[in-house]
Amino acid sequence: MEITRDRAVWIYERMALIRVFEERVAQLFADGRIAGFVHLYAGEEAVAVGICTHLNDGDFITSTHRGHGHCIAKGVDPGEMMAELFGRLGGSCKGKGGSMHIADVSKGMLGANGIVGGGPPLAAGAALTAKVQGSGAVAVCFFGDGAAEQGTTHEAMNLAAIWKLPVVFVCENNQFAESTPVSYHCAATSIADRAASYNIPGVTVDGYDVVAVYEAAGEAIARARRGDGPSLLEAKTWRYFGHFEGDQITYRTAEQSAAYREHDPLTTFARQAQDRELLQKEDVDRIDADVKKKVEDAIEFAEASPQPAPEDALTDVYVAYR
Amino acid sequence: MTPSIGLIVNPAAGRDIRRLVGFASVMPHHEKAAIVRRLLRGLEAAGVEEVLFLPDGVGIIGAATDGCPPGLRLEPLRIPLEGRAGDSTEAARRLVEARVGAIVTLGGDGTNRAVAAGSGDVPIVAISTGTNNVFPSMVEGTVAGLAAGLVATGQVEVAAVTSRAKRVEVRVGETEDFALIDAAACRDAFRGAAAIWDPGRVTAVVLSRAEPWAVGLSSIGGALRPVAADEPGGLYIELDSSPGAVGVRAVLAPGLPTRVGIKRWRRLELGEEVSLDATGGTLALDGERELLANGPVAARVTQAGPLLVDVRAVLAGAVVPHV
Repeated sequence: MEITRDRAVWIYERMALIRVFEERVAQLFADGRIAGFVHLYAGEEAVAVGICTHLNDGDFITSTHRGHGHCIAKGVDPGEMMAELFGRLGGSCKGKGGSMHIADVSKGMLGANGIVGGGPPLAAGAALTAKVQGSGAVAVCFFGDGAAEQGTTHEAMNLAAIWKLPVVFVCENNQFAESTPVSYHCAATSIADRAASYNIPGVTVDGYDVVAVYEAAGEAIARARRGDGPSLLEAKTWRYFGHFEGDQITYRTAEQSAAYREHDPLTTFARQAQDRELLQKEDVDRIDADVKKKVEDAIEFAEASPQPAPEDALTDVYVAYR
Repeated sequence: MTPSIGLIVNPAAGRDIRRLVGFASVMPHHEKAAIVRRLLRGLEAAGVEEVLFLPDGVGIIGAATDGCPPGLRLEPLRIPLEGRAGDSTEAARRLVEARVGAIVTLGGDGTNRAVAAGSGDVPIVAISTGTNNVFPSMVEGTVAGLAAGLVATGQVEVAAVTSRAKRVEVRVGETEDFALIDAAACRDAFRGAAAIWDPGRVTAVVLSRAEPWAVGLSSIGGALRPVAADEPGGLYIELDSSPGAVGVRAVLAPGLPTRVGIKRWRRLELGEEVSLDATGGTLALDGERELLANGPVAARVTQAGPLLVDVRAVLAGAVVPHV
């Protein structure tokens, strides 16, 4: 699958933006400037970006509790994201969603989700909408290896298979459901194996190689757009941070993380793209500087954004159907 | 010495992008575990007492013995795992040092390529669980276990039931590598999802075997001029992706019978060097993009491959006529 220079720039820029955003959020959280809970996506950038490169604003994604990377890959504004994390009025959900319920429907980002396994039925629903309306849109459901064991995930895959819905289920297998290793919680030990029972294609892909994800996602999304139905992609990945910020990470070793960092998705892609003369070193340096500025601008925007008024506590929370 | 064998199961075999672009089946871990379970029974019956195995990281060996422990000893190889093909090569080296009588592999051509890089003169019993399989055979686990056991315990003459496989040796700049069956110059700039299935992305191929029944690049050669495992030499083929090109029908992935345009082809003598131009692209080894190429690639077919066990010949050799 061909990768043009423009595409290579976009892929690297999005991955770098996610990385810097998450590293700054970790600091901001440690400094007490972000309330609530944050689950960081650093290390898993190649999955969100490899997939979302094939999507446009009319397509849908559903996310997890670890949703910042999905937002950035789907084009949600980093300033509005940061304001959302800060609980400010300028946030993409006017500060009421926070990290775990961040959404931007205008970008097709249907929301991070505090419920493990909450996303798959929503993605199937979005795909059903696309199919009924004949819009040609595709839904992508990001879920983790923990969510793979939830009944909602099976129900969504089964329904999507029998109704041939245009949805791609993407399991981000970072090998731990919170602190529980996949070998302990998954009888099949492979999430992709389950595709066979729904009579849909199941593929395992190296989630540390953005081009590998990009190629597999391209085929899966094209298949869904053609009307050939759902598929299941399992991306083997690793998160650099803990399950949540504050996690002591006693369930895995620093050596394991170091081994993954040796194959870091950003540096690997930057090196390969330079080797293939799609990017120059100056491009990489410029992008690195640009994304740092974007994130600092986002923090500035968030801090300047007003707090929501107490009397607005119940607005935009429930929809009144008339 | 304790009769022992080595076991290398590739957990990644049979689950790549060809399930999306073709109609390849997923080879589930449970199926691999079931094959191993039957394999162990065959090994035990043939008198093997110890199996040294590469930990697969996903519990295939554990599932194979769960609830029905075999009567032989299972010992994991203690090597640092990277979850990459290099694990299989390192495991094969350790098995050679441990002087196992045979190595059983579960995987496809790619898995066996990794094992062959370290297996030296230890015979390989190759069970197919991959997508494109020319080197390994579709053989039932129990039967493969019996065959490996008979070889490892010296109940059949190794020389009579094994043959030295050919391989395609390649040189890209300073890097030397090899494929067991096919080396191909690809237009793709990145390794990406690794598998190749689109003839439009391939410019030239060197084959050690050209099998008409094969799935993968070998089948292109098989449609032009078959070259079997025991025939010295191989084939060199240049592909033509222009619309009116004269071509052959080949099966490049399961479910994908494809018309492949041919520019020219010729037979290669053993050891004859040929140059593949993969500049700006990748070099695929046994159907998977492995190396980024920034210049010409030198390739030749040699007889320096691994020692492959003929399972049928082993069992035929173990017939006891007087019973």
